[in-house]
Amino acid sequence: MKATPVRARRWATATLSVLALTAVAACGGGNSGGSSSSGSADKADLTWSFWIAGTEDQAAWQKVADQAHTDHSGITVKLQGAPWDSYWSKIGTTLAGGKSPCIVGMQSLRLASYAGAMMPLDDLMKKYGMKAEDFDKPIMDGLKVDGKQIAIPYDSGPMVIFYNKDMFKAAGVPDPKPGWTMDEFKAAAKKLTAAGKSGLVTTPGDLGVTSWVRTMTGAEPLADGKLNFTDPKFQQGFSQYADFVRTDKIAPQVPGGNPDFETQQFTGGKAAMQLNGPWSLIDTKGKVKFDLGIAPIPAGPDGSKTYTAGSGFGIARSCKTPDAAFQAIMSMTSVKPLTTLAEAGRAYPSRTVAHPAWFTAAGIDGAKETIDYASEHSIPLVTSKNWVQVADLLNRFGTQALNGEIPPDQALKTIQDQAGAGS
Amino acid sequence: MAALNTTVAPTGTPPDRGVRAGRRPALRRDGRYASIFLAPSLVGLALFTLFPTAMALGISLFDWPVFGDRAFRGFGNYSHLLHDPVFRRVVLNTVLFVVLYVPLNVIVSLGLAVWLGPQIRGRQVFRVLFFIPVMTPMVANVMVWRLLFQPGGLIDGGLQSWFGIDAPNFLGSSNWAMPAIVAMSIWQGFGYNFLVFSAAIDQVPQSQLESAQIDGAGPLQRFRYITWPMITPSMFFATTLTLITSFQVFAQPFILTQGGPGVATQTIVMYVYNQGWQFLQMGLASAAGWVLFVIIMGITAIQFVGQKRWVNYDI
Repeated sequence: MKATPVRARRWATATLSVLALTAVAACGGGNSGGSSSSGSADKADLTWSFWIAGTEDQAAWQKVADQAHTDHSGITVKLQGAPWDSYWSKIGTTLAGGKSPCIVGMQSLRLASYAGAMMPLDDLMKKYGMKAEDFDKPIMDGLKVDGKQIAIPYDSGPMVIFYNKDMFKAAGVPDPKPGWTMDEFKAAAKKLTAAGKSGLVTTPGDLGVTSWVRTMTGAEPLADGKLNFTDPKFQQGFSQYADFVRTDKIAPQVPGGNPDFETQQFTGGKAAMQLNGPWSLIDTKGKVKFDLGIAPIPAGPDGSKTYTAGSGFGIARSCKTPDAAFQAIMSMTSVKPLTTLAEAGRAYPSRTVAHPAWFTAAGIDGAKETIDYASEHSIPLVTSKNWVQVADLLNRFGTQALNGEIPPDQALKTIQDQAGAGS
Repeated sequence: MAALNTTVAPTGTPPDRGVRAGRRPALRRDGRYASIFLAPSLVGLALFTLFPTAMALGISLFDWPVFGDRAFRGFGNYSHLLHDPVFRRVVLNTVLFVVLYVPLNVIVSLGLAVWLGPQIRGRQVFRVLFFIPVMTPMVANVMVWRLLFQPGGLIDGGLQSWFGIDAPNFLGSSNWAMPAIVAMSIWQGFGYNFLVFSAAIDQVPQSQLESAQIDGAGPLQRFRYITWPMITPSMFFATTLTLITSFQVFAQPFILTQGGPGVATQTIVMYVYNQGWQFLQMGLASAAGWVLFVIIMGITAIQFVGQKRWVNYDI
């Protein structure tokens, strides 16, 4: 098989053409994701990238998008949906490449990672007269980075306790009331833990862990924007939280990697309480066969303290028609679509005006009292740039800490070592 | 791959056409047609394999966050991986999975293939049954196994109601998670090798086995001296492919445990996925990808060199 000059030339030609094709394809590939809009402030065809769970979801959110066209005849908003997980891997690359759709769905916990590629909205808010006070303050603040508003929220919610009223009644435990203490909570959970059922179910998710730690010791996960898991107060709070499973045994051992474990155990009637957000309340109520109640997180030495999270819509920096995009977002987060969503039993709306509709749809006694109380006692969970990594590590090593495989302090130190530098 | 190389008939024109002068143009024409037919797959290979591989090598030399500034780091990413206790554990996990999974998979699939020999009635039914887990989507399989394994799941619930004892927390315990994943993977994966071995065993001439039997050879001897040498090419094919795919294991730990508890079941591909698509650190992800690539290349090369000692193609 000696290469003759002819053969060598042929190979060279073939290789070169392949390379040329590769180059052409590589350059051409860049355009496909790009859908920046064209138009003016009042006339534009916009694309809105958002996470959706299925066709029913798609239809509900398309109605929200259509509100923009109803309010501004020149503006149309096309919904481009993706499931939650793939949404985040996709939006990262499109935002970074400057090829993102104009309107971008954003969750408060992930905002810090993506804020660099998004437009601050303060000037536009002023220009179009959008009032921050019409929205829940904690979530409005939760969608700020360095004091600048990056997204406008559509939902919000402080972490609260969901509880199984039937189990409470059967065990002779009185329903919890706002202001109940950690001791009362533990006594109730101990009483409820019997016959293969548990008082509480927990997994080391970021919102859950940080809310429990905050109510127990007041410690926060970040200090000056940097991860601060090795702070003694944080360690103390986390250790007390891990004790729910380790020593108090009021919650079952945690399986690795099942994000639905908490919800499965709670909705299946195997655990009497779980910490959850109002965004899941109406959905949970539809799933369970028992009477569902909610209560604020139990009060530690300095009272009940919890975190709020939520999501909203922002504008990509690469957007060529930010004015039109902002007007569309104003319509999408206006009273009408948020009330419609609330009536349909979706997430707890970010606008105070839409709250009554949601409470009616929820139909749970004392829901308003509990959520108002929790909201008052909550602050937004401000996260670091690499929060996705922090949350991932917390899940991994938190599981080991809860199950008593490693000391809680060691879990926190490992997370700090792995993610501290990047925060 | 080896099976293809060795069993495909020699290509090109027949060795002797008698007329020497006529050979060259014919060869050239064949070559031209061959290039035309090969071009699409060559373009595909270049576009979707060679180019990304080379690109990843380039990216692996940079600090390449999806957001923010890129900076050349040389071999900084590789040295970071080398010194990172998590990555070292991840490599160890992957090797542990391979060491547990590959031999067990081969033993189970070969054992069943031998057992379900041509003399067994209803073997087609068994073949289909054993192949079903291979055909069903991995995600569905894993979901079912998760319900078996988790606290309060089928195994735990069964043990509690029958014997009053708790099952181990299979997916939450560092000691149990990897064996649980290996068990699930074997159940899901052995059907493929089972079919390969089964087909190879069917090719062993009955006449030889019978004459050996007449000569007084027992079942073990017949397997050792007749069946085994004849199925070594399939064996080589199966072990090579199983090794490669088991180094790339992702879906089972990703869905069953998400790599936890801690990093007890995180594999190299999961690490690459997390760094790249979750934490948006493309440089580190590419470097880890290349580490895996080199490991797989090295082991496959050793297998190819080693096959001379035990694979028998003279049938």
